[in-house]
Amino acid sequence: MRRGADAVVELLGPSSLVVAVGLVATTASLANQVYFMNALVSVAIVVAIYVFVGNSGVLSFGQISFVAVGAFAAGVMTVPLESKQGVLTTLFPFLRDHTIGNVPSLLLAAGLGGVFAFLVGLPLMRLSGLAAGIATFAVLEITHNILREWTKIGPGATTLSLVPETTGPLQATIGALAVIAVAFAYQRSRLGRQLRASREDPLAARGVGVHVHRQRLWAFTLSGALAGLAGGLLVHQLGSITTEQVYLELTFLTLAMLVVGGLTSLWGAVVGALAISGLDSFLSQAENGVHVLGVKLDLPAGTRLVFLASIMALVLILRPSGLTGGRELRFPRRA
Amino acid sequence: MPEPVLELAGLEVRYGTVAAVRDVSLRVDKGEIVGLIGPNGAGKSTTLHAIMGVLPTHRGEIRLHGDSVRGRSPESIAHRGVALVPEGRRIFGDFTVEENLRLGLAAHRTHNGAEPLALAYDLFPMLKEFRRRLAGALSGGQQQQLAIGRALVAEPDLLLLDEPSLGLAPLAVDDVFQALRRIPERGVTILLVEQRALHTVALADRTHVLVAGKLRLTLDPADAKDPDKIVAAYLAS
Amino acid sequence: MILAAVNFQTLSDAVGLGAIYALMAVGIGLVFGVLRLVNFAYGQLVMAGAYTLAFTSAWPVPLSIAACFGVVVALSLAMETVVFRPLRGQSPAVMLVTTFAIAFLLQAIALIIDLRDDTLGEVAASITSLNEPISVGGVDIRKITLVSVAVAAFALLALALLLTRTTIGLHTRAAAADFRTARLLGVRANRVIAVSVVLSGLLAAAVAVMMTVQFPLVSPDFALRDTIVVLVGVVVGGIDRLWTATLGGFTIGFVSGVLNGALPTDKTVYLPSAVFALVILVLLLRPAGLFAWGRRAAVERA
Repeated sequence: MRRGADAVVELLGPSSLVVAVGLVATTASLANQVYFMNALVSVAIVVAIYVFVGNSGVLSFGQISFVAVGAFAAGVMTVPLESKQGVLTTLFPFLRDHTIGNVPSLLLAAGLGGVFAFLVGLPLMRLSGLAAGIATFAVLEITHNILREWTKIGPGATTLSLVPETTGPLQATIGALAVIAVAFAYQRSRLGRQLRASREDPLAARGVGVHVHRQRLWAFTLSGALAGLAGGLLVHQLGSITTEQVYLELTFLTLAMLVVGGLTSLWGAVVGALAISGLDSFLSQAENGVHVLGVKLDLPAGTRLVFLASIMALVLILRPSGLTGGRELRFPRRA
Repeated sequence: MPEPVLELAGLEVRYGTVAAVRDVSLRVDKGEIVGLIGPNGAGKSTTLHAIMGVLPTHRGEIRLHGDSVRGRSPESIAHRGVALVPEGRRIFGDFTVEENLRLGLAAHRTHNGAEPLALAYDLFPMLKEFRRRLAGALSGGQQQQLAIGRALVAEPDLLLLDEPSLGLAPLAVDDVFQALRRIPERGVTILLVEQRALHTVALADRTHVLVAGKLRLTLDPADAKDPDKIVAAYLAS
Repeated sequence: MILAAVNFQTLSDAVGLGAIYALMAVGIGLVFGVLRLVNFAYGQLVMAGAYTLAFTSAWPVPLSIAACFGVVVALSLAMETVVFRPLRGQSPAVMLVTTFAIAFLLQAIALIIDLRDDTLGEVAASITSLNEPISVGGVDIRKITLVSVAVAAFALLALALLLTRTTIGLHTRAAAADFRTARLLGVRANRVIAVSVVLSGLLAAAVAVMMTVQFPLVSPDFALRDTIVVLVGVVVGGIDRLWTATLGGFTIGFVSGVLNGALPTDKTVYLPSAVFALVILVLLLRPAGLFAWGRRAAVERA
């Protein structure tokens, strides 16, 4: 009975936060809505990353590659036909002459992200620690380079624009919820539990028959698919995308969101994403002058990043396991 | 009576919420060899680690020459004249024998100008012969000699040994115990944690039996002829 | 095709770059050795040094350089006290993200200071004369290349002597090999770490001086790209040992220099992909590092 209740809370906690944000987003002014949407899309990205990094304990700097692939794929395939043929003249014909709808583009993004992750993961999942970090970073660099130069599959170094802005509060909320649901299902499944066992003690896990390489590959592929989906959500939220938007800065920001929230739990991923997005949005507002509890706060220009980075560093110095301590949300227990 | 070199009073050490060592009290006076034996997991290593400051003490006192050292860092305790020969020896395999010994000088308190490594070389002539060899190339018994020598060059008042006979061939074990016998001649006091009960009881002035974190019994060298008594102590609950 | 385009100028520039990257690799490797921490903010130390040189451009050159060293070493020690010490023993993920946050923070602060004069970028112009070439035996070598190689050789030699011939060096090597046992033997942890951090800072300052000769325009992302490349080089070379890390840094610097100089611009667009594909290949074949033999990959231990 208790375990069933725990499972429900574990899923419901993060989900209700996301739904709450979505609801507030619908009531916010159009100017403010962007902050909430950023938060929701961030949740999708960070949870996607968590599915691999949190469960396996292997730090990957390459997950944003899959967000990039998803974003560009969904973006290129949904730009209206006339504009596409006029602007993106160097594309392969089968890309240039076809357009798909919103939901198909999201499915395509997820599919491509998953396939790409699988192919990359096949060789890479043998690595751990620093070697894995650098190798996945190399994947990020390669993806960035190819997207930027290969004008037959995308706009290259120029901005991909005129993408239909179909990610409103509803789509963002549903997208984030979908990613959370899949992450939850995975971590509760036998696959997920096997991987978590290997996180604590790879040798011991092998000893009881856990095929570590295979489990990591599953998680990596799933993470890639979810990241691709998040990329699709992203491009439909922004209406445009550039290679720089899915590169180093986003990589570090999302990784920081995960670690600050709590690397090893779904709750941590969601809390981290929302907390830092929220903080970032608040600080942006503060730079333009904002009222807090009756006091006017007016940050000098450029200090937003200073505060954001300081607060993140401070949280980690004071509480290295993250805001949630890396634990899932649970029913309060009698002591 | 002068202050004991080491005194433990009601020592309690915990791993999380579990007490690995409970209400342990003992004293070691200058020039003594005191043994601490018991079954696996009894808390013997834990006791040594607590004395050395590697593990925090939950309750009780640890006193060196009458001064409390509870809560101090390992380096600070080393600088107060305590040397630990850790379980598994933990020598630096990529360094030479001589470099390993020189490392032991880190805790040396006075520089009286005499050849500092002489203490180790006198006790273990083999070390002098192999001093330029990489420590990783030595045999288990030789590495144990190196570990003890390294602890001694700091001229400690108290030498803690954590299962020095572990993994050693019988001849090597005898060598180690022979060497231990000679150490108090130099004014060094010994607290010896061991698995080899009979060897220890025969060597030490006094041997305590630790079972499940609590002291059960104290044995003296005469009891070395009475293995049943020792077994009974181990099995007592 | 590539070899045909490699001339002496390219080679010498590549060696110069390799020397500078080797110094950065040592700086990163020293701190990793005793703290098991990859300091992503190392590039910011170089940036701080470069800014100091820029703001003291009007001073006499020796004073300007002294100021640079002073600021960088002070900043390194501040990092150790405020950030590294509380994080000792934490997981690699936490340490990496925190040092990244610090890097971000320092960049943001630099941006604010830089923009006080309403233009982005400051110029550190005092020793740019070193960027000019001199003729040696009929070929042109830039003076800065000679200086870089000389400084790197001197620094590495001095460091090697320090580590192998002095007591503090012995203690530092021991702490890097087995921190816990070293402490048991009485090695003073804080002293060893402070020494390593100061040395690492001195190296960063030297790198700042040499880099501003070639790139006098200083902005908040000064040396950021280089830090990332050096980190890749260090891990590919083998972060577990100081000399393999250094060799890795030098190699990636040299290779970058050669490729950049030798390939015509229109063929270099996919160069990053090729280089990083090579990095992945090397890591798959030798995860502990290209120059490491018979070792397992670096164990992140407390």
